[in-house]
Amino acid sequence: MTDLDRRPPEAARETGPGHDVVGAAGPGQGAGHDVVGAAGPGQGAGGAAGSDARAELARAQAELLAALVAGGRAPEGFDEERLRIQTSSLIAKRRGVVARLRPDLLRALGGDFAAEFAAYADGRPKPSGGSRADARDFAEALRAAGRIAGEPAPRARRWWARLTRRRTG
Amino acid sequence: MGERAAVEAAVTEAEEAAVDEPLGVGIGWRPEIDLTVERLEGVDFVEVIAENVRPDRLPESLRVLRARGVPVIPHGVGLGVGGAEPPDPDRLAHLAACAQALGAPLVSEHLAFVRAGGMEAGHLLPVPRTREALRVVVDNVRRAQDALEVPLALENVAALFGWPQDEMTEAEFLGGLVEATGVKLLVDVANLYTNEVNLGLRAVDALDVLPLSELAYVHVAGGHAHGGVWHDTHTDHVPDEVLAILSELCARVDPPGVLLEWDADYPSDESLQSELDRIRKAMVRD
Repeated sequence: MTDLDRRPPEAARETGPGHDVVGAAGPGQGAGHDVVGAAGPGQGAGGAAGSDARAELARAQAELLAALVAGGRAPEGFDEERLRIQTSSLIAKRRGVVARLRPDLLRALGGDFAAEFAAYADGRPKPSGGSRADARDFAEALRAAGRIAGEPAPRARRWWARLTRRRTG
Repeated sequence: MGERAAVEAAVTEAEEAAVDEPLGVGIGWRPEIDLTVERLEGVDFVEVIAENVRPDRLPESLRVLRARGVPVIPHGVGLGVGGAEPPDPDRLAHLAACAQALGAPLVSEHLAFVRAGGMEAGHLLPVPRTREALRVVVDNVRRAQDALEVPLALENVAALFGWPQDEMTEAEFLGGLVEATGVKLLVDVANLYTNEVNLGLRAVDALDVLPLSELAYVHVAGGHAHGGVWHDTHTDHVPDEVLAILSELCARVDPPGVLLEWDADYPSDESLQSELDRIRKAMVRD
């Protein structure tokens, strides 16, 4: 067997390296979902996690996440400087993955890549389609702003997106 | 017997041997370093990011490793078991299918939330450590356990901030989860170090509180300091301080496994080999 026979499969190539939190079922997932956690069969103790506890946790986490990724106000009591660092860290993580997925954009933007990505990602959560959708949206934003030339890329569905499509579509 | 059939047969054999045996020292398998991982000496087990593989189309490299009897652990990053919603059945089914396809002795995930209010964080965020939240996460973990045929291990995360509502430490919260659900622990000593630097939470205090008898394995990784903040990037050499925490852990318990995470900016094979050797040295009890 040669090394050429051992290329990583499509799925692994597409999703890129490392701890990329991939492929969310997107906004609206909650609507058809058992949010408040009626305990399933054999989960008697699960009833302890009642709807109030889940609702409060959902509210708190959504408020914090909005502050971190969607330009929302910092919830009361948090260290705002720490949240700013977390926001930058999340954007840096997205930027790193997009840079690896789209070396062409990295080349086209050169030293402006980080600033351009920060401008794109500021207040804009990572799209539900994962890092490839993020890369595509970034490229579209650059085209729309006239920063790069070229035609919009075809929208290739990822296997994970296909798997979870029934939740979003 | 064709090569594929031979691999299948060896996988089945190795599957039976993998359960209940110590894992040893390992490295995170990534597609970019697949051949390197195969070539490195003394790789006793590997981890694969579960969201990056299809159980029905496993990368050839993982099949080769399995044929050699190397355990492969699916490591999830997108479940968000610390979220407000019960874990997504599709994601759980994927983890279960990965475990089955790989003949994995367990599955690991994180004590974190990764989405809320229809938004994706893109990373692992700390859960508010309140008694109320613990009840929700206990329920989530039980649901995950019900969907998996192998044990689940949960990992402590690196945090850049704490919740003002926190009533307990992460170690106490994980201890509560272990007690209520029997979930296993994946202790990331680099994350303990990160929290020590960034939040002033002493790693040894966490080691004192964590129920280490339930330890499944350990993560070790490098990162870098930026503006007085430690970023756990998994892209650099493991600092001596992280290895010192590993040694502290090994003074308390003989860890079933210790795994190096390296996610990008990959160094030479020799460099990775030397990182694994440093880990082995740090594990030796005085």
